[in-house]
Amino acid sequence: MSEATKASSPATAGNPRKRRFAMVVDTRRCIGCMACQVACKAEYDTPLGVNRTWVPYKVTGKYPNVSRKFLPRLCNHCDNPPCVRNCPVEATFVVEDGGFVLQRYERCIGCRSCMAACPYNARFMLPSHRTYTPITNVVDKCTFCFHRVTQNLVPACVQTCIGRARVFGDINDPNSEVSYLIAKNPTQVLRPEQGTRPHVFYIGADRNQTEFGRDAYQKIEVMEPQRSAFKLHFNI
Amino acid sequence: MGEYVWFHDVSWHSAYAIYFFVIGILAGLSFLSYGSWLTPALRPLREKAAYISVVLLGVGGALLIADLSQPLRFLNTLNPFYMHFTSPLAWGALNITAFGICSVLYILALRSGNEKRGKLLALVTAALALGLPIYTGFDLSVHQSRPVWNSPVMPVLFVALAIASGSAVGALLAGANESAQKVLREYMLWSTAAVGVVLIAILGTTSYGGSAEGLAFQILTSGTMGLIFVGFGILAGIAAPVALMLLVPVGKQQQGVLMISAVLILVGSAALRYAILMAPQQMQTLF
Repeated sequence: MSEATKASSPATAGNPRKRRFAMVVDTRRCIGCMACQVACKAEYDTPLGVNRTWVPYKVTGKYPNVSRKFLPRLCNHCDNPPCVRNCPVEATFVVEDGGFVLQRYERCIGCRSCMAACPYNARFMLPSHRTYTPITNVVDKCTFCFHRVTQNLVPACVQTCIGRARVFGDINDPNSEVSYLIAKNPTQVLRPEQGTRPHVFYIGADRNQTEFGRDAYQKIEVMEPQRSAFKLHFNI
Repeated sequence: MGEYVWFHDVSWHSAYAIYFFVIGILAGLSFLSYGSWLTPALRPLREKAAYISVVLLGVGGALLIADLSQPLRFLNTLNPFYMHFTSPLAWGALNITAFGICSVLYILALRSGNEKRGKLLALVTAALALGLPIYTGFDLSVHQSRPVWNSPVMPVLFVALAIASGSAVGALLAGANESAQKVLREYMLWSTAAVGVVLIAILGTTSYGGSAEGLAFQILTSGTMGLIFVGFGILAGIAAPVALMLLVPVGKQQQGVLMISAVLILVGSAALRYAILMAPQQMQTLF
């Protein structure tokens, strides 16, 4: 049984008559150009200070054997989404055809219960003032580009990814690229212990980023040996 | 340079902690007001507790509504077409509304001097008041991805905190009334001790948990949050008042000792609510 089938809802898993969209992020191919983040911002006029998708990175290893690990992040469009359960007014809901977790902006009261419930920090509060878009003061998140996917386009971040690190498709279609990637590669999901059955699958994700680390509040010291080695090497 | 992380804002800010504090006190006062029908010593508190409880409901409700980013849409929570009962907030909105209506009816009954109706409404109001700390506890415990919050004893903790803080306000209101003070001392002592026991259980399981729990424990017990949680919450808010009430023998307690204990309990319960609300959120801001 593949990771996708295990992680999906029993109602839709492996059922070719029901679409279930998912994203595979091949972190080995991500170059950290942040083009996905920019494309998403352009697509939705996402304001400064908040993001629907973001690409954090960490430098791992010891100089000279260091590498930069990227972990593109977005809403995981879970099959068992805690945000939907916790919304008191059903402002957030799951679209049955495709599994999109979407938001009704006109209904959201801004209690931020969904933000507290999301284990992935995928939700954020829109600011009170925006230049072009009148949607303000409500919770927002990635929609898997619902408006594009329903027009047979891929999400903006997938379209723009220069390394083809992001792949999008229907995991219930055995011929889709996401099904192939999940079948052929070991994949991870973020925080599987939460039982959310997320639908963003990672290939080659680094544990330094997928798990909570006790060094989260000591970032400066982490790079000190590397910085010293760099200065020593270049005689700075 | 070393890494790039996106800082996420915490979902619920300190206004929520103040709301928890206020709702705890008003629930505790409602218990006392009903208790006055069963325990004659508490009779002087009956009207005072009922009035203050309604005033605090207004304050707490205003805080809760003002904390929404769309305050006028609070009515959506009472719209039968929008209600979503898998969320404790939906139950909470109904509970608060029902409590508010019953409290007003109770006060009207008290003013009219109708004892039979007054006792019945006091019971209903107290039962609805019990729902308030329970729902606020569930409000946190349903967030299973957050350490500390995800503890199933969270509603129990909030009920114990409500009894402790309500009794503390009752002790301040009772003034020099010795018989009321004696009863309230028992309430404060046992409820504060219960808070302590529940906190020991929560801290124990948190410190033995995984990396997220470990980080939450670290935040709760060190730095500024450690000062608030351990210093103000546990030492000043639980250990000190319990010691004061136990060490000074019953009957020889001066009114001042009980008053100091009551103030310490109130400070401690406010600090505990703040720390329990904020610390598990801080842990996730950098994930």
